[in-house]
Amino acid sequence: MATILINGTEYPIPEGEKLNAIQMAKRVGVEIPYYCWHPSLSVVANCRMCEVEVGSKDPKTGEVKMMPKLVPGCQTPAKDGTVLVTDSAKVQEHQRMIMELLLLNHPLDCPVCDQAGECGLQDYSYEHGQSNHRFVEERIVNPRKDVSDLIQLNQDRCIMCTRCVRFTREITQTAELQVMRRGNHAEIATFPGVSLDDNPLAGNVVDLCPVGALLDKDFLHKQRVWFLAKHDSVCTHCSTGCNISVEENKGKIWRVKPRNNPHVNDYWICDEGRYGYKDDSAPDDLLEAMYVLKGDDHVAVAIDEAVRLVDRGLKQAVIGGRTVAGVLSPFLTVEEAYLMATYLKGMTSDAVLAVGPVPARGEDRTFSPDKSAGRSGDTSFLAPRPFTIHAEKAPNARGVRAVIEHVQGAVVEYDELLRKVEAGEVGALYVASGSPTDWIDEPTAAKVREKVAFLVVQDSRVGALAHKADVVLAGGTYAEKAGSYVNADGRIQYAGASLPPRDGSLPDLDLFAVLLDRPGGPARSSDVLAELAEAAPAFAAAKGGTLPLYGATLEASASSPRENGPPPFVDAWYAAMGAAKAR
Amino acid sequence: MATFEPVLTRNWNVPDARSLKVYESRGGYQAARKALTTMDPDAVVNLVKDSELRGRGGAGFPCGLKWTFLPKDRKETLMCVNGDESEPATFNNRYLLERDPHMFLEGILISCFATRASTSYVYLRFEYIEATRIIEEAIAEARAAGHLGKNIYGTGFNLDVWVHRGAGAYICGEETGLIESLEGKRGWPRIKPPFPAIEGAFRKPTVVNNIETLCCVPHIVERGAAWFKSIGTPKSYGPKLYTVSGHVEKQVCVELPLGVTCRELIDDHAGGVWKGRKAKAAVPGGISMGLLSADELDTPLDFESLRKPGCLGLGTAAVTVIDDHTPIIDYLVNTSRFFAHESCGQCTPCREGTGWMSKTIHRIKNGGGRIEDLDVMLHLAENLGIIPGTTICGLADGAAWPIKNALAKFRPELEEYIRTHQTPGAGPTPLQLDVAAGRRVDLFQVGNAIAAPPPAAALHSPGRPDA
Repeated sequence: MATILINGTEYPIPEGEKLNAIQMAKRVGVEIPYYCWHPSLSVVANCRMCEVEVGSKDPKTGEVKMMPKLVPGCQTPAKDGTVLVTDSAKVQEHQRMIMELLLLNHPLDCPVCDQAGECGLQDYSYEHGQSNHRFVEERIVNPRKDVSDLIQLNQDRCIMCTRCVRFTREITQTAELQVMRRGNHAEIATFPGVSLDDNPLAGNVVDLCPVGALLDKDFLHKQRVWFLAKHDSVCTHCSTGCNISVEENKGKIWRVKPRNNPHVNDYWICDEGRYGYKDDSAPDDLLEAMYVLKGDDHVAVAIDEAVRLVDRGLKQAVIGGRTVAGVLSPFLTVEEAYLMATYLKGMTSDAVLAVGPVPARGEDRTFSPDKSAGRSGDTSFLAPRPFTIHAEKAPNARGVRAVIEHVQGAVVEYDELLRKVEAGEVGALYVASGSPTDWIDEPTAAKVREKVAFLVVQDSRVGALAHKADVVLAGGTYAEKAGSYVNADGRIQYAGASLPPRDGSLPDLDLFAVLLDRPGGPARSSDVLAELAEAAPAFAAAKGGTLPLYGATLEASASSPRENGPPPFVDAWYAAMGAAKAR
Repeated sequence: MATFEPVLTRNWNVPDARSLKVYESRGGYQAARKALTTMDPDAVVNLVKDSELRGRGGAGFPCGLKWTFLPKDRKETLMCVNGDESEPATFNNRYLLERDPHMFLEGILISCFATRASTSYVYLRFEYIEATRIIEEAIAEARAAGHLGKNIYGTGFNLDVWVHRGAGAYICGEETGLIESLEGKRGWPRIKPPFPAIEGAFRKPTVVNNIETLCCVPHIVERGAAWFKSIGTPKSYGPKLYTVSGHVEKQVCVELPLGVTCRELIDDHAGGVWKGRKAKAAVPGGISMGLLSADELDTPLDFESLRKPGCLGLGTAAVTVIDDHTPIIDYLVNTSRFFAHESCGQCTPCREGTGWMSKTIHRIKNGGGRIEDLDVMLHLAENLGIIPGTTICGLADGAAWPIKNALAKFRPELEEYIRTHQTPGAGPTPLQLDVAAGRRVDLFQVGNAIAAPPPAAALHSPGRPDA
């Protein structure tokens, strides 16, 4: 078995993975500090922070021979017989020197810097640096500038790790950012007339920056990061299902950051997902109560009364021999879709379940990094993972379809349902939307109203149909509900709730549970998912109701453990760290 | 000495030597013809390996050994010729290019044949406008005469030579920086491994050789490895172009066997130190190699001996003489400014370290020096560069060596300078010193750092003057 010697202890090297010294050491709990290295970008070894003593062990005699000079851990492969020393006095003195040099021209304006609290310089300075420094010369002052409408560059704070430059070169392959000038005057810049505005992944350079050089103007000076509570969620803006961390303070979302998932989004999210949280938490068009149509006007009623009216209305339709239909929007979670389908089908097996319209915009855009072209450094450690922005702008079309297929046998398309409505075949319609944008227009809504005797709309925001509905149920936004989504590749992923339900609303899952009279208090999405996995073979991968951290693929063939397994390393500037996670 | 026959410079004083006709009439391209028609490529590689020809560009890496690092199963090989001669005071490649371009092309031809490279890029320094014109004319001439192009000498060997001019950066003389620049990128040296021989320009196996190294190859092929090894000192073989500049009567470029002493060069070939003065120090081979003091001028200038007086190595064999009227701080100001300006900005130690040293040395020069600055600089210099392993390329070593050598050999003079050249206002302020030392600073006490605060008062107290 291949082994590696780290700080005097021998560890086995995992088979089938190409790891560098930083990754290997992290696996066994030894931290090697680094700045410029990133697991998804090429290795350039220019920050020199990760330098360690490297040697090799003779397999026969067991004699250890160390190299006389320090070697960057990022470019050192973890091979059989490699010897790493990461805590010797020589290495520590080197780390101290690098921290001293990096801070020579750094302004130390932490009190006004947004990065404070999640800054690589702060963390490593505390750990490896010194409290005084010997530099008594004038510092280089470099004014801040904008690299796009949403991203600000504070060149003073930059440590020239070139992660952002490599990102635009290697991942998006647009190469907007460049290094200009030389020596300690070197700076990140764009050519005149070039900006990151048209780059759909531009926001990622802010996350990549280990210091406060690149900052998001959307978040600028709004919150200190240690006040933010981070919640693991899944982006609902397209069918990619990017793993995100929703960061809120006192019930208000301040920003959305990507979470690493090697099988879905690697380390990236698109700007649409990143800044999309603003649409979802805009308070003016969110439904703030349940409403019932009385005369010509909607009257706010208590939750239990609204739910009772829905149940009574639907049951009367069944007794009256009219057809009951339900529209399950692709924005519902798998669990919600399952409970809604069970509810309607349990009322009458003739109930029609249709999938809501799946919004599409533009075309799929895939960014597939090429290992050979455009990379600026050593690429031998990279596993290139393409990142796709899907045109299908709904998170769970596949999941909802699979649920309907299980409950009803076949999926009724939205257009087909509209035809049935127009033909007057539907007596009662239950529409569960949850879409962040309006997907039913005024004329269609009027037509539906005209033909349907009893209309229930369950949504998080006021839409055209809600104005005409008999009962309006206020459901949760994506941030207010927990559940799982099935992405475009058939991977089922769990998204936790980031915010409590707002006043006057109930998360959709609870609404359905009340309608169903489910025993056992508030519904837990994991219980529902476990039931579904028990009942439907398509969801067998979700057995037990608890999904692995990186989700699970629904197809049995693809569910090999590696496919769902963890990556060899997660870049620390993304991992939720410290107190914020604990809150 | 008497038996030494110059080969690299043999056509320099011949009229019209840069034309193909004259070059051929003096036996030109015979070595190439011999190699291509009668020898196997591997035999040429072995011959060069046997001659122990060491690279003339600065690092002194054995040329033949470098060629053997190419992968055996390679499909395409590229030859990059390093003509980015940007080490200050070095001009031997320029003479070779301008006075005998065909000898250089013959060297390329033989080396490309040996390494099976069918494309060669000549990377020339931006400032060598005249040399570029001359070499381009020579390439056209050689191509027309069948020394370059397709099916050379009927052997089926093809070779294209392209001239690429740099954009004026010192760092592009580093082999991987040169490759990056050739590819059209910013000239940032690459990490090794992979070495250029495995993955170089355009991700293909690449050989990078200096102009003077390649110029030696035709003579080795013509006269054999034994002839080559008969020249020079026991460990450094062959003829070498030495350039002498600085405070000498006559700035020259001469060809001599390796191992000539510095004093010999100055006195016999450069006409001695100018204005009848004495030498205080001499730079042995380009400013990145360090400094020889006056008593060390008898050191032989070869690959081995320069380690003993603490220099980095032979470098480009460009001797710069400093006379005894020149303060050593002026030498340091120049070297540190050069390296701070030319550091590419990639590795942290070099980017920040060279700038720091330059600022400190300028402060000392301006009269704000402190004795402890010397220790801080020395401590920093000892940790910079590829030798302690803290940078990717050797530029930082070059920046550190002048400081290390100057502090080791001229420390009393520097301390004396600091003591006698104190100018008020040039040094660090007390506030800077306090901040640097991590001492608690009372901002109201330190000069007029900030205005004193208004007297404490409640925010809305009625008696407050500005309320």
